[in-house]
Formats: sequence, structure tokens, C-alpha cells
Amino acid sequence: MPDDLIKHDLDSVLAPISRANGLPNAHYTDPATIARENRAALGHQWAALAVGADVPENGDAKPIEFLGQPLLLLRDDTGAVRVFFNICRHRGMILVDAPRKIEGAIRCPYHSWCYAKDGRLVATPHVGGPGQNQHEGIERATLGLKEVRSHIWRDVVFINLSGDAPDFETQHQAALTRWAEFEKPLYHGGEDSRFTLDVNTNWKLAVENYCESYHLPWVHPGLNSYSRLEDHYHIEEEQKFSGQGTLVYRQLKDEKGQSFPDFEGLSQAWDTAAEYIALYPNVLLGVHRDHAFAIILEPVAHNRTREHVHLYYATPKTDPALRAKNAKLWKDVFIEDIFVVEGMQKGRAAAGFDGGRFAPAMDGPTHMFHQWVAQRLRDTESGL
Amino acid sequence: MGSAAVARHGKRVVSAPKSALDAALLAAHAAGDKERIAQIYAKAADDMGAASAAFYLTHAYVFALDAGLSEAETYRRALVELGAEPTG
Repeated sequence: MPDDLIKHDLDSVLAPISRANGLPNAHYTDPATIARENRAALGHQWAALAVGADVPENGDAKPIEFLGQPLLLLRDDTGAVRVFFNICRHRGMILVDAPRKIEGAIRCPYHSWCYAKDGRLVATPHVGGPGQNQHEGIERATLGLKEVRSHIWRDVVFINLSGDAPDFETQHQAALTRWAEFEKPLYHGGEDSRFTLDVNTNWKLAVENYCESYHLPWVHPGLNSYSRLEDHYHIEEEQKFSGQGTLVYRQLKDEKGQSFPDFEGLSQAWDTAAEYIALYPNVLLGVHRDHAFAIILEPVAHNRTREHVHLYYATPKTDPALRAKNAKLWKDVFIEDIFVVEGMQKGRAAAGFDGGRFAPAMDGPTHMFHQWVAQRLRDTESGL
Repeated sequence: MGSAAVARHGKRVVSAPKSALDAALLAAHAAGDKERIAQIYAKAADDMGAASAAFYLTHAYVFALDAGLSEAETYRRALVELGAEPTG
């Protein structure tokens, strides 16, 4: 695609919402364009990779591929969660090929170089010849596992592959401030509170749909019975995050009228409020007085995304039946969105589609995300 | 090349292990019993001459490290004494 055309199309995305177009088709269908976009919008940002609950116990290790990079999520003996490149510093062999507990050290299955759980290289067998495990050319202190810059917020493990993004707390100060009242311990609901949806869509379309409340009465008619469109408001933090809030959240209750325990110390506003934000680039978060969720969008291919959904509570123990009911409720809602995001992906094959127009009063949060992607491309490709 | 095969390869550079040692190693590898593997190599190191002790002790150390066994530190110190492992 000629550079002047890219510039023109992104100009249109960056225009005010009343005359803006969405990102061009190539951002959903063209591998070369998407590779450039991935670098700018995921690689240079704080991208969501996983959750701490994926490695719940000390020594748990989980290999994860992200943007083609072989990574290893690892909880060390002190409970600290780190992300490393999942390769041996010797010959580049993959170290861990399936989720498992690291009992002592990570031993490369090829020549048995061993790494401590904090990444230090601790054994180099026969590196100086049979029965000689040292050599002047091999400085173990310089050959530990390569660590990827990471940060954990609300149990989400964020990574900055390029290593040059501002600190997470600086980058996302606005989100941290907005939800400061929810800076409380979070407890993953366990196996019944996680599920993955494999969706034939580009990851951005999942963000675009999540951001806005415009679709709720049409796609989620069940919600409309108590949570009407006019009960929602836009959340718009330029270049950071966007989403929607509701003023009529109702707690789920069991047959005895019991609900989940609340997060402690919330102000009264949260009695009936809930908020849902897409923290750019690829995590969808929700908070309520009594539970929260995180959806990690794993960009598998230009037209395929895995949505990893995790539900959290204010206390370590909650009623299993109520938890299962809550997980089903959310799963049903998220499944209702699938035909939309898959339909928009298919629609992006239409020659001459101009990226679409935005409903000026309703699509602000979605347009804001398009602008963010466009601006990241501009900045990255101009060396900012 | 698996570790048992490495041990056999080692025949060319160290004194030949007994066939019983080979059989025990293969069985322990087949069972994925890292603690047993470490013990067999440690025993082999004891049984062999000084020239080959470091070879077997290295394997004992690696598998003890892998399995998180407390013996790993003992093996490491022994390897340091043999000049096969860095100090510290």
C-alpha cells in the first residue's frame, strides 16, 4: 500500500468523530499492514499476556506464544511472577513445551543447561569438555534467561516487548486513579471462573464492540429488561482507554437471596454502578461492587482471536453454585457478541469499504480506540 | 540425544560403566524418576576413578537441580572440589 494512501486513510481516522472513518480494511485483512500495526499497537505498548492465576503456585510455568514470540510465564519461589523468553541461551532450544511445575531448576532438554526460577544460569554441564562444567568463554552471570519487561495490575500480566514504553504506572495513571477504590486484593474464582472463546475475528473488533453501549439493546436484549441504553454512559480517556458504565447494576443472588461479598470500602456510588473499560491495547476489564473480570485478547492471526475470560471476587472463598451461575451469565453475554465481531471481520473483505462511519453521539469510545491505533502507527513509524 | 545415551557416549572418555548401571539408568529415565537418576549417577561417580567421577557427578548434579533435591548442593560442592564447577 503506498505511503501516501496510508497517510490519507489515517488522517480520516484521526478526524473528529462526526466526519471520521474507521481504520481501513487492510488493518483487518492484510498481513503486512497488521504486522506493522502489531509492532506499534502491541509490541511497543503494555500488552496483556496472561493473568497471575495462570501460574497460581510457586514454581508454576506456562509457555505462551505472543506475536510469534516464545515466552515463559513463571512464578518463582518467592511468589514473584516474571516473563522470560522461553529459550536456552545455548542453542536457542525451547525450554518448557507445556504448562508444568518446575520442581528445582529449568533444565534445557537439549544439553541440560539449567536455569534457576529467577532466570539465573546455574549449570553448564560439560561446557569445558566431559566432566568439566566451566569454560573461560562462558560467563554464567551474563547468560541468564532473557527477561521481558512486565507489570501486574488487577492480576493481569502486562508485557512491553520493545522495552521502551513509559512505566506502566505512568502510562496508565488515569485508569489507576479512576479505579483506585478497587485497589483491593482480588481472588480468582478458580477453574469454574475461567473460559476461553475462540473467535474468528481480528482482536481490535473485540475491543471496538466492547467499548460501546450502543449495541446492548440489539445484541443483548436480556440486559435491556433492567439495564436500558439510557442507563449507560461513555468512558473516554483519550489515548489510554475507553468503555462504558452503567448506573443500574444489580447483584446476582442465589435462591436464599445471598450475593457475593462486596469489595471493602467502596463508596456508595458503586452500590448500583459498574464500569467496563478496554485498557488499550488488548485487555477488557469490568468492575462491580462484588466481582470483577478481565478478558485477555490473544491476537492469534489477523482474523482469529482467543478471548481468555477470568472472573474475580473480593474473598478467597465464595459459593461455588453462585460462582458457576455468574460465570454462565457472563459467558452467555460474551457469546452473544461473537456473531457481531465475526460478522464485522467478514465484512472487512468488502472492496471499497471506507472503514465505516461512527454514530457521533454513541460511538465515541470506539472511535477513540481507532484514533489510538492510528496514532500509535504514526508515532512508531515516525520514530516517536 | 538422551541423557542415558550421553552416559553411553561417555564410555569413550571415561571408564566403561557396568551393564547393570546402563540398565538402571534406562529404567529410571523411562520412569522419569529424576531423583533415582541423580542417585544412580552419584553412585557411579563414587564407583569410578577420579578421572570419570566428575562426569557422573555432573549428571547427578543436573538431575538433582532439575528435581529440586537438597543433594544438589552436596554434588555441587563435590564438583567444585574436583575443579569441575565454578566456586561461589
